[in-house]
Amino acid sequence: MLFEQILFFIAGFGAIAGALGVAMLRNPFFSVLALVSHLIALAVLFLLLRADFLAAAQVVVYAGAVMVLYVFVVAYVGDSDAPLRATDDGLVKAFGPLAALAIFLEITFAVVGSSLSGLGGRGPDVDARYGSPEAIGDLLLTKFLLPFEAASFLLLLAAVGAVVLARKRRGLEDLDAPGGVAG
Amino acid sequence: MVLLGADPVVETTLVQIVKAIVIFAVILQVVPVILLLERKLLGRFQQRYGPNRVGPKGALQPFADVLKLLSKESSTPTTAVPWMMAIAPVISIVTAVATLAIIPFGPQGAWGGDLGLYGIDVPIGLLYFFAFGSLAFYAFVLGGWASGSKYSFLGAMRSAAQLISYEVAIGLSLLGVAMMAGSLSLVDIVEAQGSAGKGIWFVVPQFVGFIIFMVAGFAESSRPPFDLPESDAELVAGYNTEYSGMRFGSFFMAEYIEVIVISGVATACFLGGWHGPGPEALAPLWVVLKMFAFVLFFIWIRATLPRLRYDQLMFLGWKVLLPLATLNVLVTAILLVVT
Repeated sequence: MLFEQILFFIAGFGAIAGALGVAMLRNPFFSVLALVSHLIALAVLFLLLRADFLAAAQVVVYAGAVMVLYVFVVAYVGDSDAPLRATDDGLVKAFGPLAALAIFLEITFAVVGSSLSGLGGRGPDVDARYGSPEAIGDLLLTKFLLPFEAASFLLLLAAVGAVVLARKRRGLEDLDAPGGVAG
Repeated sequence: MVLLGADPVVETTLVQIVKAIVIFAVILQVVPVILLLERKLLGRFQQRYGPNRVGPKGALQPFADVLKLLSKESSTPTTAVPWMMAIAPVISIVTAVATLAIIPFGPQGAWGGDLGLYGIDVPIGLLYFFAFGSLAFYAFVLGGWASGSKYSFLGAMRSAAQLISYEVAIGLSLLGVAMMAGSLSLVDIVEAQGSAGKGIWFVVPQFVGFIIFMVAGFAESSRPPFDLPESDAELVAGYNTEYSGMRFGSFFMAEYIEVIVISGVATACFLGGWHGPGPEALAPLWVVLKMFAFVLFFIWIRATLPRLRYDQLMFLGWKVLLPLATLNVLVTAILLVVT
């Protein structure tokens, strides 16, 4: 129990520090790394919530795949000589803080609205297989079959679209197949 | 004292700490042995003696290597980001060692009590392996980027591209095994290959998956013939060009630990893990023997095959291994449903 509490605070502060780092660091490369550490801290929090599968998926998909692309792009394109700066657009400057305030208020209402009833208790009792791959897979293929299939279809469309776009841009079809005649 | 209480949870925590220390200590000792073995065998493969000056028949060569690395200065280029250069080797070692925890060396109770001869048995087993495999990416990229050198950066980007390309194939190749065993836990996978179940090593029904896993495993560990990240002719040494001393040694060690990890996962997923003739107490012996065979295979391949060109590497990963692995998963799924 003590170990879990220590881990919770380490992961919690790590997540907050990571999130702050994303917004406040000047060098985009460091921002991306802050986001990575934030995502890993979130994965640890998922582990503490008995969501093993979610934690692993978080690391594999976000930290291991999505952020890899971010790192790629920033490392190639992001130049540390031209740090990210606040835009001079007056409209964005005026609405940025308002939007942030709105989100803050919304989250505050949601959190306080739950009257923080979880703070006093030990949390709900869940059985050991609660966040296991079996349990998640079972839910995905029974209760949430339709959303699951819809999301799969959407991803398939995106993948096909990516291939089509990449194909058009290159214009090197004749070089791909040696001996082939370019249409 | 909470630690000395009779609470069973605390007891397992203590056991786990001991297990962690044992695993780490053993692997730390095994790496120099593999290093020596590799240099000796490479010598044999190439019609020369290999190291034979330090100690009897060169047996103390690893000590000389480690001492040399330890006594070297850790230099940092002026364009580098020093703290990031320092943590990159740490990440590479941690991600490599962490995966060792799930490799099963024997069933629960093989050596008496209810002690399982593995670090941890997690229900997400294989995903745990993938998770740390994908985090290893950051060691390369941070190391290469923070070095502030073009060669390092190019090497890092190559490693990154290679890792994400083959990560997909390695994941799909193990999916067939997970489906046959009905679990992601490595312990369950080994059990499913035992006499209690159908009693067949998964290398037979999942032969395609095994081949894909081995090829992608070579790529994941950046070993020849997939050592493009450190192809010395073009990139000096890739992401670790600017590293020296024990920091370089750490990257080097992580690569060998990665080889051991992949051998261990291959043993558990395809070669029946701890199953073998003799009493159950011999289980770890079989695991170590099978892993040793894989390590020898790694060395043999290194001495045999030339390095792939970059476009060949990408072609193999995306256009050969990926469709093959997908097909393997599909066929396995159909067969499992039909039978």
